[in-house]
Amino acid sequence: MSDHSLQTRFDRVALVGAIVTLAGATALPFVELRPNRLVPGTVHSLADAGVWMFATWGLVALALLSAVAPSAKARSAASSASAYGLVAVLAWALGEAASTLLVGQTSVARVSIGSGAWVILLGAAVIGFAGGEERKRYLLRRLGPPVLVLAAVVSAFVWGGLDDISLAQEFEVRAESFWQLLAGHLALAGAGVALGAVFGVPLGLWATRDRKVRGVVLGVTGIIQTVPSLALLGLLILPLSALGNAVPFLRDLGVRGIGAAPGLVALTMYALLPIVRNTYVGLAEVDPAVVDAGRGMGMSSRQLLMRVELPLALPLIMEGLRTASVLLIGITTLTVFAGARNLGILIFEGLGQFAPDLILLGALPVIVLAVVVDVALSALAKRLTPEGVRE
Amino acid sequence: MIRLEGVTRRYGDELAVDDLSLEVAEGEVCVLIGPSGCGKTTTLRMINRLIEPSGGSIMVNGRNVMSMRPEELRRGLGYVIQSIGLFPHLSVERNIGVVPHLLGWDKQRMAERARELLHLVGLDPEVYLGKYPRQLSGGEAQRVGVARALAADPPVLLMDEPFGAVDPLNRERLQAEFARIQRELHKTVLFVTHDIDEAIRLADKVAIMRDGRLQQFASPEEVLNHPANKFVHDFVGADRALKRLVRVRVEDVMRSPAIVQEGSEELAFRVAAGRRRFVYVIDAAGKLVGWMDTADLEPDMDPAEALTRVDPAQASVRSDASLRDALSRMLGLGFRAIAVTDDKCRLVGEVTFAAVEEAMTEGDEHITNIAEEDAG
Ligand SMILES: Nc1ncnc2c1ncn2[C@@H]1O[C@H](COP(=O)(O)OP(=O)(O)OP(=O)(O)O)[C@@H](O)[C@H]1O
Ligand SMILES: [Mg+2]
Repeated sequence: MSDHSLQTRFDRVALVGAIVTLAGATALPFVELRPNRLVPGTVHSLADAGVWMFATWGLVALALLSAVAPSAKARSAASSASAYGLVAVLAWALGEAASTLLVGQTSVARVSIGSGAWVILLGAAVIGFAGGEERKRYLLRRLGPPVLVLAAVVSAFVWGGLDDISLAQEFEVRAESFWQLLAGHLALAGAGVALGAVFGVPLGLWATRDRKVRGVVLGVTGIIQTVPSLALLGLLILPLSALGNAVPFLRDLGVRGIGAAPGLVALTMYALLPIVRNTYVGLAEVDPAVVDAGRGMGMSSRQLLMRVELPLALPLIMEGLRTASVLLIGITTLTVFAGARNLGILIFEGLGQFAPDLILLGALPVIVLAVVVDVALSALAKRLTPEGVRE
Repeated sequence: MIRLEGVTRRYGDELAVDDLSLEVAEGEVCVLIGPSGCGKTTTLRMINRLIEPSGGSIMVNGRNVMSMRPEELRRGLGYVIQSIGLFPHLSVERNIGVVPHLLGWDKQRMAERARELLHLVGLDPEVYLGKYPRQLSGGEAQRVGVARALAADPPVLLMDEPFGAVDPLNRERLQAEFARIQRELHKTVLFVTHDIDEAIRLADKVAIMRDGRLQQFASPEEVLNHPANKFVHDFVGADRALKRLVRVRVEDVMRSPAIVQEGSEELAFRVAAGRRRFVYVIDAAGKLVGWMDTADLEPDMDPAEALTRVDPAQASVRSDASLRDALSRMLGLGFRAIAVTDDKCRLVGEVTFAAVEEAMTEGDEHITNIAEEDAG
């Protein structure tokens, strides 16, 4: 209660977000200019972004205001506007800084995003999510503002000079393979989750029906989870290549020690644990009285499963799918070591060449994908939860 | 009709139900009662084959349950369990519609039936049809549980401690409603409880079990007046006399009281000349207004001053209440008689303490004998 009244006086999270943003905007380099790849660069502050500097100040002020706004509604509106605004302004500020600094430079000169800009982005995220889960949901339910921000970022590319930023140039160079790698990433992670569900849900169901199976299934999936993904990948290469060599038909299907197959097998095994476990827990947690009533009223085992047990377990099963998806989007990057082609290639090539922009080009989409999938599957889980058992 | 013959259920070396035979006639309520673990639930669940008997035969409506498909059998038997077990993801309407749906009824018929049943169990369909189980109180959920069991109008109902999970006040209300519904529907009911008062109140026949064996199978009066052995005697309890009152309805022992209409209180003088000391006063519609103690009347006073006005809901009992209700009301108010009213608060009679006493002592002779036998 006392905590609540304190919260009504000021919003600490928004305050922290504003301070973080402020620090990023003042104390850290906004962009870095390198005349070519070999020469050390010079750092530049937000002042090089012209009017966008003032826009940034204004939005930080708005975030501070939101922290002390009298009503929850006003607070919510102000902090959302500040967070979304900061992202849009940041895109234009980077574009402005890049195009200003590149005037008179040779074509090999690069302007890359400095730590200050990243910190501003972080600050914006903190401000946006101030107010906790409730606000987060509110923020994500509305499609209008995110679309506007996206439009602002895209227009910064087209008209605002954002395409002069090194990250964008890196993207332009690799545009064609980027989209292929992104598609490969999605396909592999998606296939892993799909296979995980195809095997995991029935396994979880089986575990609820048979005590012995339960021990084995939950034990094995637990062990898989503790094996580092890279090691699992390595462990799979040997048997799979042996299998592929021994059975030419399977090799034609793509079962080789190297390529998508071992990656997919590893990803599927990784996806199994949350899916099996959540299916098992979801089904096991169905009130036995409800199952008893259903059977006593004359439902067959199948009807009981389809009409009572699965609908009641669905929220937890969906939660398992969501966990598996987010997990797989991340560890799919590692499958490049077995020869799969996806965003991981950019990351590890970038690491090898010491090229931060290349790393970012691989890592940023992975992060964005993970967040988008997380949000989308949460929303879907919510829709699929039967009304009577919603919180 | 339900008939069990020599039914046995074994768990390892233990006999949960041991050579049990009993018959519930059509339209009767048989209450199965006994201490925890005596095999009541096991017996009930063998009838709908949630548990397979180890021996003996079970007939429902002339058919051996073992010859029927379990699902088909169960759809024809209403089943209420203690923990209610409403489906949390289904609305009240769809919970009630579960068995009709399994039987392939059309939507319209299911919707009508749900309304009808909610009415029957005393819940307003407009309010409750769309609710979900988590939005119901314990008593409301129990009512929905009963409505759900009745949905496909099964001739036989199996109820396992259906009112076990509600507070005593609500339980009595639910029992009264169950009795009313049963008077209307005449189902064949096997009802499990471990509450002896509930058994005596609702049963046509009581089956008392202990360690899987039937101890006595008889009418409540018989069980109260002639307990078959010491176990039954002790189980029924020392307040047997009070329990007997539960079986007697007020309307069966009430007498007609002295009545005057409001405004004509002076008539009470004349009544006072007769034997009755208390005179009830009613209004033009026959509703109870209060009473006068004729001992208070002075020859030259306004008789209306001697009128004690009362709230009929507080100071009377309904004609379909039990004598025990009447007695506890009398004791609560400190009277030696109490007015009896109908559902519109109209005065219909009076029950005296003497009448209660008489009902209590009936059959006591035999009880004394058993108690002496036990002691000896
Ligand atoms: N699945 C089982 N395995 C072994 N023993 C069982 C099983 N189910 C019931 N029993 C035993 O059978 C006996 C009768 O159990 P039952 O559930 O029928 O009792 P009850 O009369 O319904 O008791 P309560 O009033 O507590 O509900 C008990 O001794 C119990 O321990
Ligand atoms: Mg029981």
